[in-house]
Amino acid sequence: MSVSRREFLRYASILAAGTAAAQFLTPPVYADESDALLHVLNRLTWGPRPADYAAIQTMGIEEYIDWQLDYATIPDPQVDEFLAARRILSMPINDLNRAIEADYDLVLSLALWSRLYLAIHSERQLYERMVEFWTDHFNIPIPDYLGERMVDARDVIRPHALGYFRELLLASAQSPAMLYYLDNAVSSAEHPNENYARELMELHTLGVDGGYTEVDVVEVARVLTGWTVGNQSQFSFDKDKHDYDEKSILGHIFPAGRGLEEGLQLLDMLATHPSTARFISSKLCRRFVSDTPPDSLIESTASVFRDTEGDLKAVMRHLLTSSEFMASAGQKFRRPLEFLVAALRVLQPGFQIDNPETLLYTLEPMGHLPFFWHPPNGYPDVGIAWMNTNGLMHRWNTALQLGLAGDGYFSGAALNLDAVIPPAATIGDLVQTTAEHLLMRSLPQDDVNELVLLLVGSNDLDYAVTDVLRQHQLPVLVGLILASPHFQWS
Amino acid sequence: MKPSRRQVLKALGVVGLSQALFPSWMPRMVFAPPSVQAQDSSNEHDILVVIFQRGGMDGLNTIVPFGEGAAYYDKRPTIAIAAPDGRDTSAIDLNGFFGLHPSLRPLKDIYDANGLSIVHGAGSPDPTRSHFDAMEYMERGIPGDKMTGTGWINRHLQSAAWENGSPFRAIGMGTLLPASLRGPISALAMKSITDFHLGGRSEQLSGIQNTLSRLYTLPTTGDMLETQASSVFSVIDMLKQFSAIEYVADHGATYPETEFGMGLRQIAQLIKAEVGLEVGCVDIGGWDTHDNQGGAQGAMSDLLSDFAQGLAAFNADMGEVWMKHITVVSMSEFGRTAVENASAGTDHGRASCMFVMGAGATGGVHARWQGLHTAALDEGDLAVTTDYRDVIAEILLKRVQNTSLETIFPGYTPNLTDIIASR
Repeated sequence: MSVSRREFLRYASILAAGTAAAQFLTPPVYADESDALLHVLNRLTWGPRPADYAAIQTMGIEEYIDWQLDYATIPDPQVDEFLAARRILSMPINDLNRAIEADYDLVLSLALWSRLYLAIHSERQLYERMVEFWTDHFNIPIPDYLGERMVDARDVIRPHALGYFRELLLASAQSPAMLYYLDNAVSSAEHPNENYARELMELHTLGVDGGYTEVDVVEVARVLTGWTVGNQSQFSFDKDKHDYDEKSILGHIFPAGRGLEEGLQLLDMLATHPSTARFISSKLCRRFVSDTPPDSLIESTASVFRDTEGDLKAVMRHLLTSSEFMASAGQKFRRPLEFLVAALRVLQPGFQIDNPETLLYTLEPMGHLPFFWHPPNGYPDVGIAWMNTNGLMHRWNTALQLGLAGDGYFSGAALNLDAVIPPAATIGDLVQTTAEHLLMRSLPQDDVNELVLLLVGSNDLDYAVTDVLRQHQLPVLVGLILASPHFQWS
Repeated sequence: MKPSRRQVLKALGVVGLSQALFPSWMPRMVFAPPSVQAQDSSNEHDILVVIFQRGGMDGLNTIVPFGEGAAYYDKRPTIAIAAPDGRDTSAIDLNGFFGLHPSLRPLKDIYDANGLSIVHGAGSPDPTRSHFDAMEYMERGIPGDKMTGTGWINRHLQSAAWENGSPFRAIGMGTLLPASLRGPISALAMKSITDFHLGGRSEQLSGIQNTLSRLYTLPTTGDMLETQASSVFSVIDMLKQFSAIEYVADHGATYPETEFGMGLRQIAQLIKAEVGLEVGCVDIGGWDTHDNQGGAQGAMSDLLSDFAQGLAAFNADMGEVWMKHITVVSMSEFGRTAVENASAGTDHGRASCMFVMGAGATGGVHARWQGLHTAALDEGDLAVTTDYRDVIAEILLKRVQNTSLETIFPGYTPNLTDIIASR
């Protein structure tokens, strides 16, 4: 295989894995760029359903965005009911740890399922997408401290996901799961452990090019010595482990003799640092706009971040109402979790989940099981990372299986496609009706022809759809549309 | 089906493959070679197996410089590995100065037979202590450069003088493609060979595959999604040609039941099946031992066991005849601090060590060793005295027969250390 110079050059300026650009991806061909409503839904939700489309049509784009940003006022009865029926999810840490002691598997399964369930069913869709963003940003894998990890999700990420960055950062810095995971819990004046200190600056605030040095890493670690976990699994400041000597960080002197308060000052300084505003903004733009967001948008978003002292609602409002955002239709390749949730949302009226395990573990071979990314940087956020042979293969199989869920191909789930896809008299109509329901737009004629050929063995678009034909072939059609390129971009 | 603790571990890569996670209706395709025929001299290029130890491996407890005496032991009061003293918790002597961590015992016979070379003090010249930057730099082969999107292995394949149309030309065993394989030459990511097939009603599968491949024929030529999709179809078609017999490793080799072990085992399968594999990449993670690293036993010891058992099994499975055509090389993004921290662990450092196994190995520990006294260290860490690219470059030149080093490692002139045997 020879590679032309042109192709080679396309790779010449791709950035780092985490920040990898992808000029050689050409998704917009598949986006209906004229349909602004659909674009907004694609990014604000975990996958648009016909009901969402109706809502945004009634409200208009700006009102819809404001409605979603003001998430606390959106009633969420289905989620309330789900949580109320699962007491474990709201237990204080000590009770939770006892429940884990009694049945680890049950609690783990519940932690994973609640994550998916809320993404699928919550009316507060933008909020749930923000929860996902911060879950990656402050990534903590689950296995060793399941209880503390669940508390982090519930009491750190969720309360602040659309709040103030400074408060989110402080909550994270005092989260037992984070203190354990990045070893600050065992750091001491004598030998500061620099694991958390480094990731705090590199991943949580300033960014790797944000202007800190190796000396700053050690000094930050010293400031945070004594920040640990108490015997009730709560944040605790151990004054005997704290380093009371003078420190210097990013050119600021932290005078000798101070305890907990110098850590608070440090977090404040990092939360409000211009590098942080830029770094968080660039990540938000990458998540919500494109793998290579325009600099203009990163800069303007960062300036809103600075001006509002990290008011995430204001930051997101700016980003989502920007012209750069509106011009970015179809540029994000859905990550496996986004793909699965989007599929489940669109199949919702007919999809019944009695036991979620099979469903959850389709994410494992796709490489995107929630809470199972080990390094502190979170699951990758760019298409180039996910668009590989393993990911596609397993994504297709999940799509095809989902279509066949009504035939018992998914243990623990049932699917009544008649409750999802309206009736159609001819095969051509059935294909377009199905596409319009699942994709909320019609398919190019070439693709319709391919599907018709497979389903009825001829090119006859007017071929009559009998009950038998519908029962037999609709599952295949649904699976193929979910597996098609059209469903992979948002 | 409940996720058991075993499944949790499995998802973490601690235990085997994911077959049990699939519904039972999925057909099983087990892979077996059409013939196990040793390659003859017509094969002119070694197959390269590249292992990345993610997280920053502590080289000083892997290849133990016990000969340093106090300069080593004083820095590591609780985690140091004892000098060889006959007990199975002490280092395994290699040359009177360096010793293997006791968990690396499976590698000793290979070392004694000159089938294993060790390069100590190897690493990247870029001083970053960020895992993510360090890994990216190492895998791109251009330390400090964030603009180049291709990995060194992809550039190697691109610049190689020969053609190879096999979809299996390069593979990364896992759910994501390693950065070293990124670039215009299509490389596979694959977690499991046996699970790599479409599922559904069996009588419809070929029709579905056909339709899917047409849906993935995209209007823009060279689209990455289309390229990847087309690789999937080629691989599925190729795997269909193999009969369904459980793979049994040769010579009684037993791979560890870990993601690493399974990755190596599947590479062995592919090599023996002669599907055209030139480069296989396997990761082994978890080396970021900031706390409770352990010494002769403990967290790092378990990782080293996995590593050593995997390599030894691969070496045994492939056997002498195959191993004449295979070079295995390992690397890690950085080593760790020479001094242990208060959490009985080590923090991010500089140099680590590399292993070269197979045809290219000449035996021995190779190090431009300057000692562990303060002046010899790089800000408290073992200094990088061998650029990791020197080792790879020599393998590429002498074993893989690719001389385009200026393309593979742009702007760098390797300083060959002459530790690799020529073909």
